[in-house]
Amino acid sequence: MDVTVNGSARQVGSEPDATAVQFLRETLGLTGTKLVCGAGVCGACTVHVDGVPKVACLTPAAALEGTSVTTVEGLRGKHPVQRAFAAHDALQCGYCTPGFVMEASSFVDRWRAEHGDTTPSRADIAAALAGHLCRCGAYEGIYAAVAAACAGAHDTDDAPPPRVEAMQKITGQALYTTDVHPAGLLDGVIVRSRHAHARVRSVTGDDKLVDLLPGDRTVRYVGQPIAAVAAETLAAAEAAAERVRVEYEVLPATVDPGLAELPDSPVVYPTKEERKQAPASAEGLLIPAKWNGNVRGPVRMNWHGGLALKRIEQARAQGESRRLVEATFTAEPQVHTPLEPHACLASWDSGGDLHLWVSTQALAEVAERAAERFRLRPEQVHASAVHVGGGFGSKLSLTSDVVAAAELARVHAAPVRVVLNRAEEFTDGGHRPGTRADIAMLTDDNGNLAALTLDVHGDGGVSVGSGVASLARFIYGNAPRRLRDFDIVTHRPPATPFRGPGGPPLAWALEQTVDETAHRRGEDPIALRRRWDGNSKRRALYDVAAALPLWTQRPAVGSQTGRFRRGVGVAAANWMYFLDPSTQVELTVEEGIVVARSATQDMGQGARSVIADVIAAELGLAPDRVRVDIGRTGTVHGPTSGGSRTTTSIAPAARDAAARLRSALAAKAPGQGTGGAVEKLLADAEGLRVVGKRRRDRLGYAAPVRVGGVIIGRGFTGAVHVTEVEVDTRLGHTRVTRVWGGIAAGRLYSPALALGQCQGGVIQGIGYALYEERVTDPLTGVVLSDNLEDYRIPGIGDIPEIDIHFHEEGFDHVDGGGVGLGEVCTLPVAASVGNAVHAATGWRPHHLPIRPDRLLEGLRA
Amino acid sequence: MNQPLTLDEAAAVVLDSGAELRAGGTDTTARRRGGVTRSAAVQIPLLPALHGITRQADGTTRIGALTGVAELSDDAGLQADYPALTRTAGALATPQIRTAGTLGGNLLQHNRCWYYRNPHFSCYRDGGEGCPARTGIHLHAAVIDQGPCIAPHPSSIAIALLSYDARIDVHELGTLNVADLYGDGSDPTRDHLLAPQQILTAVTLPAPLPGERAAYNRAISRAGAEWPLVEAVARVRVSDGIVTAAGVAAGGIAHTPLRLPEVEDALLGREPTPEILFTAATAATERCSPLPQTRYKVELLRDTVLDVLEKAVGVEAPTGAENA
Repeated sequence: MDVTVNGSARQVGSEPDATAVQFLRETLGLTGTKLVCGAGVCGACTVHVDGVPKVACLTPAAALEGTSVTTVEGLRGKHPVQRAFAAHDALQCGYCTPGFVMEASSFVDRWRAEHGDTTPSRADIAAALAGHLCRCGAYEGIYAAVAAACAGAHDTDDAPPPRVEAMQKITGQALYTTDVHPAGLLDGVIVRSRHAHARVRSVTGDDKLVDLLPGDRTVRYVGQPIAAVAAETLAAAEAAAERVRVEYEVLPATVDPGLAELPDSPVVYPTKEERKQAPASAEGLLIPAKWNGNVRGPVRMNWHGGLALKRIEQARAQGESRRLVEATFTAEPQVHTPLEPHACLASWDSGGDLHLWVSTQALAEVAERAAERFRLRPEQVHASAVHVGGGFGSKLSLTSDVVAAAELARVHAAPVRVVLNRAEEFTDGGHRPGTRADIAMLTDDNGNLAALTLDVHGDGGVSVGSGVASLARFIYGNAPRRLRDFDIVTHRPPATPFRGPGGPPLAWALEQTVDETAHRRGEDPIALRRRWDGNSKRRALYDVAAALPLWTQRPAVGSQTGRFRRGVGVAAANWMYFLDPSTQVELTVEEGIVVARSATQDMGQGARSVIADVIAAELGLAPDRVRVDIGRTGTVHGPTSGGSRTTTSIAPAARDAAARLRSALAAKAPGQGTGGAVEKLLADAEGLRVVGKRRRDRLGYAAPVRVGGVIIGRGFTGAVHVTEVEVDTRLGHTRVTRVWGGIAAGRLYSPALALGQCQGGVIQGIGYALYEERVTDPLTGVVLSDNLEDYRIPGIGDIPEIDIHFHEEGFDHVDGGGVGLGEVCTLPVAASVGNAVHAATGWRPHHLPIRPDRLLEGLRA
Repeated sequence: MNQPLTLDEAAAVVLDSGAELRAGGTDTTARRRGGVTRSAAVQIPLLPALHGITRQADGTTRIGALTGVAELSDDAGLQADYPALTRTAGALATPQIRTAGTLGGNLLQHNRCWYYRNPHFSCYRDGGEGCPARTGIHLHAAVIDQGPCIAPHPSSIAIALLSYDARIDVHELGTLNVADLYGDGSDPTRDHLLAPQQILTAVTLPAPLPGERAAYNRAISRAGAEWPLVEAVARVRVSDGIVTAAGVAAGGIAHTPLRLPEVEDALLGREPTPEILFTAATAATERCSPLPQTRYKVELLRDTVLDVLEKAVGVEAPTGAENA
């Protein structure tokens, strides 16, 4: 059957169940078209069929017969909206970008034909792009790009974009792990447990089956990897996986966290040995704690904890209702949902070296762990993560996709890729633990914080280490406080670190309690925080926030009476400053261009651009004279992208490298001094190589011990968010209408990218506040919300206007003066939404997400 | 497999091989990728008679079953004459789904219960026993318990067609009322009553009702692109201050899409005052038999119906901006 694809005649097969996305990606190799949800929800696979945008994942390949198909490659980077996406940085990881570009190009063409070169409204753009999802939250840039392209502002070439690889992502040229397709590639599929708790007696079927079970042959959640198989096509591999026979000895399971503490409940880790294998949802060091059945803890971070408890018990006995605020706040598990799933392509060369393409935010770490696992010397593992379609904390370790791909590649003696499907990603890709926080806050007669008690029970399935309460040690001065963290373990999938682990649920409880305290005192919530919070950087943010018209003109709490009620809330948060002090950046002069390398990666946060910007500025070079080649091992050490450590680690190292290169160039051409044009000197410096280092901070570090390659530096970053909502009290819909986000993280390296990352953090926070909820079946532990229809992430129509304000002072002691901001920007969002809902309605939400049914029930109570 | 070229051939393939008929492919493809459905899909031939919007001599309008959802929601003539249909069609899913999905496919799609669509579970709907949603998480399920299966019917267009008393043509079977597609919801093994090989060919709408005003709305958590908790559509004609015609239907509440004659009866012959509208909307809840987790839907049904009634008669509640 004939089809025209990007102007060329092609043949499409007539297999009834083949889809257009398979045909384009697998048969034609047009991998700009991405497969994400497989259900027509996210739009990542959008192509034009006879000029009309269609989702290729639901379009039968046979339905393309006689049509003309245009993929993102077919736009050839020439459509004005592509230039607009680059100019307005309407992307981060880039995995959703081709789909957005296809839809947007169609919309822009239609708009200009009908309305001329005019600017559409946000509502027009939102309606047109309603079928697309961007997990990084680049929606503000997308709005701006589409509006500008409609107005005719991008009909000619623009200046270089703020994101150096933007055009590769916008044209579909950027290769992600899922796009790599070497000759002889096999697809691997993981066979997963169908039971929440079982001992696996035997696994039989495929003769080239690889084992993924832990040493005790016990599975502890539905979906736990058992084995893996590979075949020439994904369909054949899935069929082979179905033929694998697993003989289980089914054991009693605890899958409802509400029942986990009952004396009769089956215990997930009955022995000390088993407890040691519990995975952690904390980053870095896991603080030891005692166990009692399925409860681990408490992990204490007290400061005069006994005194705090005594004061609160006394106040409770005296019936204090103005000075003592007590409440329970819960939050459901949140799933990272990177649009590129966990994926790995592995192959072994004739010398016994292992080659990995892997979707990871911890390239060097994964390579090291792989070397340990497969008993190789570190230099025998060659890992690539050139473009990574999002991570958010879920891709920090040697995950089962990597192990399965490498093992399968060995037994098949062929390259094998393992790409999790969306249901697997939602089940076994990790999540932020659910939480229950019991909080009591006491103020004294002067309105100062007198005591705080906070017990948080984390629900991370088989994972432990959900440190939430502990983080309350570091904010609002030194009043007595008893802070205890507990884990409730169940036979459910493991939680993993997620963007600011512990921070959002802490803010959800603490910042609403602070708000309630201010409310009962009749005090402005910003003024109260300013009194309590001694941090000078956050005080600077409070001063700006307090003067915003959004704040000064807010309606009084509970003053609205109509169906739609507006309210404005504030919340604050702080976060640690982490860095990787061993970070290096290597510069080599290659054909007149400075090439920067480091074994780090760009998962959308902009590491590539930060390095490029620093070097170009330091050496006075045009952007096209610098190339950043990251996402590969085989060079100097680079940081894992976790704990907001990447930028503050690599940017000073890049600057140091640039300074060294300048000196080295000057040494080669002594007559020209060090102030001359570097560009001329490069021509005669082929092969010149220098390595720059991350220098030590002035004043040293807060905790000089290195854990997992990371050190805690001095000073906390801060965020203060002011959020406006409109609540439809009839149908239960909460809409966030404005967000002002104040961020204090020192000086910015690449301001456009910092802005986008913070907007994205706000958007993920809105998802946590209003929509996102990982749901498991209470009887079997099966994840029910295992697709992008039932697990709801924010779409473009859910996005308010977001203003980000940066306070750039306060990190002068840090090499380079700036620290990470990718986590702190998301921490207080849900709390600010909760406070805004309270301001709008007089009803305070206690359970996340603030679903319509919960809101309506609360308003009617 | 060769593509069938006639409806008879397509029906024969289904009977011979157990294949499932496919129109736009949005539901059939997703179910196959998710492992919910294993049989092959057979494309309904794209015959001219199955596509397009035709005004007929008797004033009725015939819409071919393979007409795209976006085609009908964007059709200016339909927007003028059948606003309840076009507003409903324009509000469902996303632009790409509306482009790919068809009128017939929307009416005959399978339900969206997350147990039915999860290969770990078996239930009445897929030939097994029991309903794991009843003992599990059924927050999105029915509030009118019609029988063993509590998955709400997913078709938004069905409620609009119910409000018009539309008729449907089925190849080899003849003409039915759209309500007859769904029955009383007591059969948990199916989401409509057509046999697998029976092909829906067209929908016929009665002659337009001059002066009709219509509204559609859905209760959801996000701005759009979400299956409704409750959805409702209302067609109302007000003459000399009195409601002289009404068609009201709701979805997301039962295993079948439901027309709500109790609401219509409370409106007809009366002046649409706020009190009358509230009384009428409240009548929608008379049939409710909520499940433990769907109690919230009782008032939400009333309020969604109230919302579309207000919009249809033109007494919308003040917005936040006007209120402030």
